[in-house]
Amino acid sequence: MAVLVVGTLAWGMSGPANGEGILKIGAPLAATGPDAREGALTKAGYDLWVETANTRGGVKVGTTAYKVQIVYYDDQSKPPTSAELTDKLITQDKVNFVLGPYGSPVTFADAAIAEKYKSPMVEANGAARRIFQQGYKYVFGITSPADDYAAAMLKAATSLKPKPETVAILSADDLFSLEVANGAKDWADHNGLKVVYFQKYPSNAPDLSAPLTSIKSLNPDVLIGSGHLQESLVAMKQAQTLGVNVKFFGFTVGPTTPDFVKSLGPAAEYVFASSQWTQDVKYTGPLFGSTQDFAKLFQIRYGYIPDYHAAQSAAGGLTLQLAIEKAGSLDPQKVRDALASLDVMTFYGRIKFNTDGLNVYKPMVTVQIQHGQVMTIWPADVASAKAIYPTPLWTARQ
Amino acid sequence: MSAAAQIALQNAINGLLIGGTYATVAVGFSLVWGILNVINIAHGALVMLGAYVTYWLFTLYHIDPLLSLPLTGALLFALGYPLQRIVINQVVRASFFITFLLTFGLELLITNLALAAWTADIRSVTTSYSGWSVALGPIALPVVRIVSLLIALLTAAALQLVMTRTRLGGAIRATASDQEAARLMGIPIAHVYALTFAIAAATAGIAGSLISLSFPIFPAMGAGYTLIAFVTCVLGGLGSVPGALLGGLLLGLLQTYAASWLGPNFDNIIAFSVLILVLLVRPAGLLGRAQRFRG
Repeated sequence: MAVLVVGTLAWGMSGPANGEGILKIGAPLAATGPDAREGALTKAGYDLWVETANTRGGVKVGTTAYKVQIVYYDDQSKPPTSAELTDKLITQDKVNFVLGPYGSPVTFADAAIAEKYKSPMVEANGAARRIFQQGYKYVFGITSPADDYAAAMLKAATSLKPKPETVAILSADDLFSLEVANGAKDWADHNGLKVVYFQKYPSNAPDLSAPLTSIKSLNPDVLIGSGHLQESLVAMKQAQTLGVNVKFFGFTVGPTTPDFVKSLGPAAEYVFASSQWTQDVKYTGPLFGSTQDFAKLFQIRYGYIPDYHAAQSAAGGLTLQLAIEKAGSLDPQKVRDALASLDVMTFYGRIKFNTDGLNVYKPMVTVQIQHGQVMTIWPADVASAKAIYPTPLWTARQ
Repeated sequence: MSAAAQIALQNAINGLLIGGTYATVAVGFSLVWGILNVINIAHGALVMLGAYVTYWLFTLYHIDPLLSLPLTGALLFALGYPLQRIVINQVVRASFFITFLLTFGLELLITNLALAAWTADIRSVTTSYSGWSVALGPIALPVVRIVSLLIALLTAAALQLVMTRTRLGGAIRATASDQEAARLMGIPIAHVYALTFAIAAATAGIAGSLISLSFPIFPAMGAGYTLIAFVTCVLGGLGSVPGALLGGLLLGLLQTYAASWLGPNFDNIIAFSVLILVLLVRPAGLLGRAQRFRG
């Protein structure tokens, strides 16, 4: 059975002061299984929000201040388990609201349950479009959607000189990666970039030398890889040894994880990636203040720099708080309506939902590995470094 | 040279390189299957262990992966002998289903122990020469992978010599062809079985070592290689070193050309279609069972 972890460390344990109410929020979250690591990052973000909100006066509904408490269950990274736990949270634990789990497939399963009980759910870690194509009215995602993951890199690439004209797209064949790749192809088709290669490979492919050989002969300006960490490692290792030279290597997943630079060493240099958020972006909003204030607070609390998983999870909690305060009520319907019409700037970026419950108003950022560091290079107004472009030829690197 | 010819030639090299890896993985699997009549599902897990031995020797003690190869082989040999003698030997004469289950369990056990000990993090062995590549006109020759292919061929040749030119090889082949007769000739069957398994484990370790040089490694990587070994053996013919070698290279070439001509998603579709064709036309594999380990 799932392990019950009643959340909120340190400050959250002190309970309500002066007889104020408790706001009970449910979150099914991976503590075990393949998403355990990301689940822990999500929990760090949620907990930081709870602690910060509670120490700064709680969630204000009219004249009452509520202390937040999150009830966590381990969903073992499994969609059916997570859906069952969401049901339990709403019907048995009687939580007021639900915060999302980690990952698109799990979020997809939980969203259906939240919708069934008309219980507003704010989710911060499921970016697949299909979650928002079901006509749900009670599910709100604060992250930029999947089709922006690779398109963000193309937007960055076309802002550079000399402007790239051709792009090769190589995608893993799972749903999320394909959604990302198709989003990139769409954007390229509509913005004058010629897609000279578009192929999918089986996920976890051990060898990508054949597609890279084809790409080498087509000599595109940009190579976009949409897949997983190990494939981005294989692709870069083999691009190096096969002498595949493009002006812009970009991967949706991989380069922002520490394993990428550790594994590839110098071959990781100049590689681009997209990210939901970095601590370089410059936004300011309620509760946490600026992006940098948030990053500092997070680092003091946990001892490491927040990545985008942790940041968007904290922002998810904050979004729910802002909607409740805007509604001035704990009534699910009123909070749902407040979410639907919410338009706020936060440390994470702008939060505003379209009619599908999708936040299409926050831009993604593009990063590049420079001297082993992940630097934000696009959009220009939040960049911490200038892009190094075009990428030097393999033979020109020492 | 036309562009198409260049691509075809480069892919021949790509195919042979990955095929060499497949062959090294398959050769030990084939040996155990052919001699012990055990389909060792845990073979891929032994490959994974070999990769991690190389990784840790490189990361902790800065021992070059090519230098640590014999050590990796020896360690896996030392692990393989008791694994067969104490565990697998208990059921070696049981039905096929039981040995299958046992090795499947071993695979789960080894993989999950690795997961607990080393986490699911993806790691790589990146040496100063990992990115070296020689350009032959328009054709790129990745140095590390060419060296890996040569080591794979040497390993296969050495194994073939052991099987055909030594008393041990004779004993192994004798045991495989007629166990009762071998026993009557004074061959210690259990010892021979364990040695065979240990040799297979050593080659798995060497395969893992070579894989870690060019590919990312992680605890669950083994299962995919067990499947590759299976296909390679069926394709090339069971229980023979040349069969595993031929099967591996052929599978590598098939996958690479399918990926190049039809798209990367077709590599396994084509590979398995050919596998079914071979089974229909030549059920014993291309270098069939009839000629295995002929001296």
